Amino acid sequence: MTDGSQVGVIFWFLSFVILISGFMVVSLKNIFYCALFLVLCLFSVAGIFILLEAEFLAAAQVLIYVGAVAILMIFAIMLTTDMASKEITQTNENVTVGVFVSVIFAISTILLIDKTSVWRYQDHDFSEGVTVTLGKLLMTKFMLPFELVSVLLLAAMIGAIVLARKERS
Amino acid sequence: MEFAFPEYNLRLMAPEIFLFLWALLIIAYDVLTKRKSETTAGYLALAGLMITGLILGFTGTGHGFGNMFVSDTAAKFFKIIFLGSAFMAIGSSFGIMREKIVNHRGEFYGLILFSTVGMMFLSSSNELLSLYIGLELTTIPLFVLAAFFKDDKLSVEAGIKYFIVGAFSSALLLYGISFLYGLSGTTDLVQMKINIAITHLTFQNIGVILILAIVLVVAGIGFKLSLPPFHQWVPDVYQGSPTPVAAFLSVGSKAAGLIAFAKIFVNGLFAFHHPDMAPNDWGRLVALLAVAAMILGNTVAIRQTNIKRMLGYSSIAQVGYIMIGIVAMNALGMAAMGFYIFAYMFANMGAFAAVAIVEDKTGSCEISTYSGLARTSPLLSATFAVFLLSLAGIPPLAGFMAKFYIFAAGIQAAQHDPGLYWMYWLVGIALLTTVFAIYYYANIIKQMYFAKEPSPHKVTYNFPALTVLLIGLAGLFVFGIYPEPVLHFASGIASSFGIIP
Amino acid sequence: MFHYLALAAILFSIGLFGVLTRRNTIGILMSLELMFNGATINFVTFNKYVVTDALLGQMFAIFVIVVAAAEAAIGLAIVLLIYRNWRCIKTDNYGVMKW
Repeated sequence: MTDGSQVGVIFWFLSFVILISGFMVVSLKNIFYCALFLVLCLFSVAGIFILLEAEFLAAAQVLIYVGAVAILMIFAIMLTTDMASKEITQTNENVTVGVFVSVIFAISTILLIDKTSVWRYQDHDFSEGVTVTLGKLLMTKFMLPFELVSVLLLAAMIGAIVLARKERS
Repeated sequence: MEFAFPEYNLRLMAPEIFLFLWALLIIAYDVLTKRKSETTAGYLALAGLMITGLILGFTGTGHGFGNMFVSDTAAKFFKIIFLGSAFMAIGSSFGIMREKIVNHRGEFYGLILFSTVGMMFLSSSNELLSLYIGLELTTIPLFVLAAFFKDDKLSVEAGIKYFIVGAFSSALLLYGISFLYGLSGTTDLVQMKINIAITHLTFQNIGVILILAIVLVVAGIGFKLSLPPFHQWVPDVYQGSPTPVAAFLSVGSKAAGLIAFAKIFVNGLFAFHHPDMAPNDWGRLVALLAVAAMILGNTVAIRQTNIKRMLGYSSIAQVGYIMIGIVAMNALGMAAMGFYIFAYMFANMGAFAAVAIVEDKTGSCEISTYSGLARTSPLLSATFAVFLLSLAGIPPLAGFMAKFYIFAAGIQAAQHDPGLYWMYWLVGIALLTTVFAIYYYANIIKQMYFAKEPSPHKVTYNFPALTVLLIGLAGLFVFGIYPEPVLHFASGIASSFGIIP
Repeated sequence: MFHYLALAAILFSIGLFGVLTRRNTIGILMSLELMFNGATINFVTFNKYVVTDALLGQMFAIFVIVVAAAEAAIGLAIVLLIYRNWRCIKTDNYGVMKW
């Protein structure tokens, strides 16, 4: 029964990239560079998904998060900031409080995870194709969330268009 | 691997499916017609809500899609509240349709109906995945609705504040749900209860990560319920959003948060509310937050000069009272919680309808505008006074009975179980803050009735807003004098959570 | 498994730091995406190592990705509104106070 306590060198490399680029996202002054580091971070998270045998999820992450959400953010940055001017840079506020809260949160979470020993480990067999299984599950067991999420996307689309539209009058 | 198709039982979802299609109809109507009437979309929405309520009356009970859609008494009770609050919010929106919203009337009503559909799915889910998606479907249209006055800086500010708070709380909730999933291996709430109990018995402790999961989930849902310290967004968002949207937020979204909270904690973490289970117990944590809500809501409301901000702080306090019913974890507590939100729906939606009528005429939401209103607009002042008195808990209105049942539930829980002695303190503080709260409700009534000069404004009523006022009035009086039927219906809520009276 | 959970926790905290301190509204949105990603890594990790219903963690993760994308769209629409009203998307204009 493996509990994953041995992780390979790829994991260390990917997590290094994730944490460094994540840190860049939240602290760089130039907002456009932050968006680019966000893209790098999301790519690396997709790599972690591949390590965790979730290949479909990795592909979905790249397609949706990197391909749509991050691009949307870059568009929004281009539409709302003059890229050549100085106003693209900004400093953070409340840095000491923020550092305090997030460091305490991270340390306490890691300590609590470490001290918990009640995980019921189990070896899963993903050899028969994760994507096929996901597809079958989506059509049988998870049909209701599937349909609900399409309603959610419709509502989000209508809402975003209503908000972002320029009125003619 | 077995891929059995679960029993779909779509007939149980008839109200939600109908309401969703009706919302699409209203949006399509608005897009496809050339000459726009001001009121047709609104009347369509009201009609749709009434038909949905009728369909709901004929819907049976049962399970569909495995445990992802459960139609039981708790779900039906809360669906009536969601439909009622949407009805009254739309009823009070006809005033702003005339001038302020010209372009997207159909979408306005369509989004309110989408949000209601999300709330209805939320109250019917016994599984964390559909609960989470229902919660998101509830809040995403509300983000848009809060910012609907696109040129009004206050409205846009309300929209972005509500969005950041909403998305932040969603992320916290998600992280907490991930740990609950890791501990129990499932997201089905009933199965989670069993799995966590088995783990607890096998290992003799449940693992300290449960504390973090509980705190994260309380934080995530606490933002929607506006429990302190997650309440900072309420006054700004209530003041900036269009008044019908603020009304819908104050009742509908809070009721949605309550049922989500009850499902996760009373159902899923059933065994962990008692101090014996410390440090994993959520009972005392939630009681502490409820006390903070009651004290903070009632004290800061006194200093407000804007009626919508004041109603926002008062709603923070009201949620504190409702939490007593949940923490009591007995059958009377669940029934009292249901009755309280029912009475609160009439009072708060009515109050916001009155605010919308005055705002429509005078353009202002300051409390000073209400000075002397009794002499020029007696009907409005009288109904508004009744709503405020019910919120304060004055007999013979429904608000009094609601508070009575909640306090009785708290005391009953403390009497049955010596480990819950701190419930006495909880009820005591609640009584104290209730008396304290009468001050700022009475202050508005004093302004309306006992000002030196009559107000220069005389309000005009449109038919739907008048209907909302009268519905609120009737509801408060009828259920204040005769609360038994509602209480009887609400007592079915307890059995949905596995609490046998 | 502990390493993956720790990675998710640190990523979540980095996002938390970003939401609390960033002055640019789109910066706040990007930090929110980091938080969602941290929670998603959690789900997938539990799916691989712990007793679970079949592939539930990965399904949940897919739905989280979809919901986060929808929220990002709405958030950016509201950011456009802020830009139209104030010509600038820094939070100083509307004083976002979260605590």
